[in-house]
Amino acid sequence: METNNNNSFEPKVVAFVCNWCTYAGADLTGTSRIKYAPNVKIIRFPCTGRIDYMLLMKAFANGADGIIVSGCHPNDCHYTSGNFHARRRWMIFRNLCDFIGMDMNRVVFSWVSAAEGAKWAEIVNTTVDTIRQLGPATSFQKLIKNSVFEEVGNE
Amino acid sequence: MNNIQQKTKELLESGACTLIIGYEKGTGGKARPVFVRKAEHAAKLIFDESCDQNIAGYLYRQEIKNESKKAIVANNHTLKSIVELASENQIHEGDFMVLAFTAEGEIIELKSFEEIEKHVATLYHGLNDEDKATMQKIEAMTMEERWGFWENEFSKCIKCYACRASCPMCYCPTCTVEINQPQWIPVPSHTLGNLEWHVMRAMHLAGRCITCGQCAKSCPLDLPIHLLTYKVALDSEQYFDSVAGTSVCANNVLATFKTEDHENFIR
Amino acid sequence: MARIGVFICHCGENISATVDCEKVAKVASEFPGVAVSVDYKYMCSDPGQNLVKEAIIEHKLTGVVVSACSPRMHEPTFRNACAEAGLNPFLCEMANIREHCSWVHEKGDATTQKAIDIVRTLVEKVKRNEALAPIYVPISKTAVVIGGGVAGIQAALDIADAGHKVVMVEREPSIGGHMSQLSETFPTLDCSQCILTPRMVDVARHPNITLYTYAEIESVDGSIGNFNVKIRLKSKSLDEKVCTGCGACIQKCPVKKIPSEFEQGLGMRTAIYVPFPQAVPNKPVIDRKNCTYYIKGKCKVCEIVCPTKAIRFDQEDSFVEVQAGALLLATGFDVLKTSAFPEYGYGKYKDVIDGLQFERLASASGPTKGEIRRPSDGQIPKKIVFIACAGSRDPAKGREYCSKICCMYTAKHAMLYKHKVHEGTPYIFYMDIRATGKMYEEFVRRAIEEDEVKYIRGRVSQVYEKNGKLIVRGVDTLLMGQPVEIEADMVVLATAGIANQGSEELAQKLHVSYDKHKFFSEAHPKLKPVETNTAGIFLAGACQSTKDIPETVAAASGAAAKVVGLFSNDMLKRDPLIAIVKKSPPPVYSSCTGCFMCIQVCPYQAIDKEEIKDRNGNIIKTISHINPGLCQGCGTCVAFCKSKSIDILGYNHDQVYAEVSALLNE
Ligand SMILES: Cc1cc2nc3c(=O)[nH]c(=O)nc-3n(C[C@H](O)[C@H](O)[C@H](O)COP(=O)(O)OP(=O)(O)OC[C@H]3O[C@@H](n4cnc5c(N)ncnc54)[C@H](O)[C@@H]3O)c2cc1C
Ligand code: SF4
Ligand code: SF4
Ligand code: SF4
Ligand code: SF4
Repeated sequence: METNNNNSFEPKVVAFVCNWCTYAGADLTGTSRIKYAPNVKIIRFPCTGRIDYMLLMKAFANGADGIIVSGCHPNDCHYTSGNFHARRRWMIFRNLCDFIGMDMNRVVFSWVSAAEGAKWAEIVNTTVDTIRQLGPATSFQKLIKNSVFEEVGNE
Repeated sequence: MNNIQQKTKELLESGACTLIIGYEKGTGGKARPVFVRKAEHAAKLIFDESCDQNIAGYLYRQEIKNESKKAIVANNHTLKSIVELASENQIHEGDFMVLAFTAEGEIIELKSFEEIEKHVATLYHGLNDEDKATMQKIEAMTMEERWGFWENEFSKCIKCYACRASCPMCYCPTCTVEINQPQWIPVPSHTLGNLEWHVMRAMHLAGRCITCGQCAKSCPLDLPIHLLTYKVALDSEQYFDSVAGTSVCANNVLATFKTEDHENFIR
Repeated sequence: MARIGVFICHCGENISATVDCEKVAKVASEFPGVAVSVDYKYMCSDPGQNLVKEAIIEHKLTGVVVSACSPRMHEPTFRNACAEAGLNPFLCEMANIREHCSWVHEKGDATTQKAIDIVRTLVEKVKRNEALAPIYVPISKTAVVIGGGVAGIQAALDIADAGHKVVMVEREPSIGGHMSQLSETFPTLDCSQCILTPRMVDVARHPNITLYTYAEIESVDGSIGNFNVKIRLKSKSLDEKVCTGCGACIQKCPVKKIPSEFEQGLGMRTAIYVPFPQAVPNKPVIDRKNCTYYIKGKCKVCEIVCPTKAIRFDQEDSFVEVQAGALLLATGFDVLKTSAFPEYGYGKYKDVIDGLQFERLASASGPTKGEIRRPSDGQIPKKIVFIACAGSRDPAKGREYCSKICCMYTAKHAMLYKHKVHEGTPYIFYMDIRATGKMYEEFVRRAIEEDEVKYIRGRVSQVYEKNGKLIVRGVDTLLMGQPVEIEADMVVLATAGIANQGSEELAQKLHVSYDKHKFFSEAHPKLKPVETNTAGIFLAGACQSTKDIPETVAAASGAAAKVVGLFSNDMLKRDPLIAIVKKSPPPVYSSCTGCFMCIQVCPYQAIDKEEIKDRNGNIIKTISHINPGLCQGCGTCVAFCKSKSIDILGYNHDQVYAEVSALLNE
């Protein structure tokens, strides 16, 4: 069982990124050899428009401590407007999650272009730092534990 | 009130209608939906404050869709739902008659979607005082308190889906909860899965919930889950100027965007 | 059962310096469904690729994960290698453990563990990959060019010269557009007609070009490669095959006082007319709104005088249909009329004119034979005031943009005036002088230094008439806002360039997007300036935003190159990573509810409706349908659809869901 001992706590962070801007931006972080915390792992999507809010819920339901969602800056979307659609969805989703008491400091939304390798490193590091301070997502972990119990119990 | 009985009787007698979807007296001072097919049964029909159920959902039921001459007795919620359903292409102009009431209680026939829209524009769209107060109470809570509040509520949900069944906007033939590849929503009911279910339900109603409260009224456990869809509805209006059930040709709030949309939360 | 091969690359030391590659390979070999897991120094080298190919054959692999650099780097390499070994290339995925792992983290367990997590995620994904085949769309190698201004002309000639058929649709009786109205052109002051007319004739004569004038687009359906374009040929009341263009009818037509559109109302024309002497085609049309026969039922003078009996009073609009692989929009622009300016007299002062009218006054073939005479009384003006930015760069009037051409043509106008009226004085009120093209700044300098054009920096607040003069009131901001008042004989407004009338309607017919000023939108402001969001429809010239001739022609050739590029293959090959509406067995057929909200969502207008019918042809259900020729695979509709009825190949629900769980669960 994880404790609130922040020294040994390694946040698990999932990044949902678009292929054309942020994925490429993170590639540039690599080619520029800028170092960042290894806690963040990327899942690639064609566009921020493809990123389903239910996947964000699934990430928390699978034990993520934090989430980054990132794509092309406004007007730079490879598909012209996927990010604009995504932005509206995030707005509504974020407020709803906040309303049910989810900690929205654990979900970072950002625009990182293919040229912003340094910004990607910065986003990752500040996110990991924030979540280190917040500690593990215990509210969800409690629910996960109970759900496992329920599902096993039901069988 | 005889008003409605008189009018529907005429409609049935003249053959202008063969089916009236309306309300009759139920138990415990409540009204319940009723289908009237014969002129002599028109006397069953009532319309007063007790008729608060949103019955727009009957309009797209397969067995009713096929009846050519039907009329619906529509309260304000039902009217808004009709507009929203029309904008989502679920019901079509001319397939049914709409009987509504003026503020003075006068019965009127709304002949087109345009007339319904106009009538809807004169109605109150906000929340009732009780819901307003609860919303404020929740929003004033700390994050931990809100989580505690909802965790407690979600823990009670038995996933009977009465809320879904009662909402006129939940018309998908295959609801996402029934999809198992992948299993978006866990089958057993536990707090985590229930939370996911309710977040998903609220998101699916973005720009579509007309704030009738039917979902919560139908919940056997009295969960205030309507507040989730209300939250989404209020935000849609506040940030994107979108109010469900007001315009037949409006685009859904999440199907459109403006380049200048709000984004102060994005880094 | 899945049989996945995992291939961990050291990338020399690029990966192995911080990631324990042997360990990653070993751990991965124990993942469920993994049949083989190996590490190697250079996976992308020939021996490395051979390792993959041999393993595919030996282990009968159903999927491959190459764990190496970014897929943006080597995905095509490894997919090809898989294809060579007989594995569908779309069953190969790359796990990026270099750019996203070894290069950005220090050596250590956490880094190796991250690499393991990434590999596990991609293994779970690839298990759910499907074998896919590229999509091929046959191409009809005909281009429809809409609009016959200089943009359309250039593009049509370029495409036709490359050997493809072109159909040009021009709504006026002649091609030529605005350039045919211009007198001389900046920055060289060469005669506009002289350079344009030969090209107009080339269009008419070109064996690959079919020209329809007095014609408009009626409807367009289909998609890239196969548009079906219906063209309305408005009745010219004339049999063009019989008419020789002798002009006898024009001479004799009794209705002679119709303000000529070509002359911007400064000259007159008859009811049967060609817009200007060099028109192509040089055959008249009857303007039915003004023809006595159509109004009163008698006249027919033209029919009587026509030596070849070409007049057809009862001719009706007709239609032609064209199968086209590509469409090119070149419908140009228009200018704001003087009536839009209350402060400058709402167009009621005859001697307040716009730039296009000045072009006609300065044109040797214009109503004054090129002499600058004011419209009211034909006097030669001694003082002219030119007002730049009339309606442009003015958020208060709803046009915040710069029309881009006015600074230059205003300088040109002042010069032309000075060249013709030596004793005259031209003033120009301006906000900034934007002369950024090649030789443009030099041109403006010449106006100021050689032709002594008086530039005054400031806005004009009012123009009014007094004793036969136009009083122009403004301020000189370079003189600390000192008021200036000029008694002018004539005022020329460089009115804003605006979208051509009908552009919105046309955009809607073609499903291309347009901006709030109704100019057509390019697919990408930097990288796709001549494409629209709708595949197969291209843009050229001033219909996108006001442009001068050099820019217009460059864009036209660019758009033509795109069309020729498209036509260089018989089939259009496209990546199959596109969205599909899922079908299910009867009686449900599809979980799609037919809400059609996804139609609004798609940035490419790729979604339309599909009717599901029973054997007798009765419609059971109407659902969404995605056109594989148009879908670009963004997936926005996929995340939007609440009933999850749309999925996208390559990033499907099952795949991404599995990735999320695999990433978080060791
Ligand atoms: C006063 C003035 C002076 C200028 N002077 C210069 C200069 O000196 N040098 C310079 O480089 N540039 C100059 N320009 C700019 C120049 O006119 C434009 O760059 C050029 O005309 C743009 O060409 P186009 O083919 O894009 O558009 P247009 O010339 O507007 O041609 C568009 C054509 O499409 C046709 N059309 C429109 N709608 C439809 C439809 N729905 N269906 C079918 N056909 C349609 C129109 O009838 C027209 O023939 C000047 C512009 C103005 C206003
Ligand atoms: S009606 Fe109540 S108990 Fe039933 S699923 Fe909805 S919220 Fe849960
Ligand atoms: S309040 Fe509930 S029942 Fe009414 S529209 Fe909204 S979600 Fe549906
Ligand atoms: S695919 Fe989805 S969004 Fe599109 S019409 Fe069908 S249900 Fe509606
Ligand atoms: S994936 Fe994108 S381009 Fe394709 S149909 Fe969906 S929204 Fe349109």
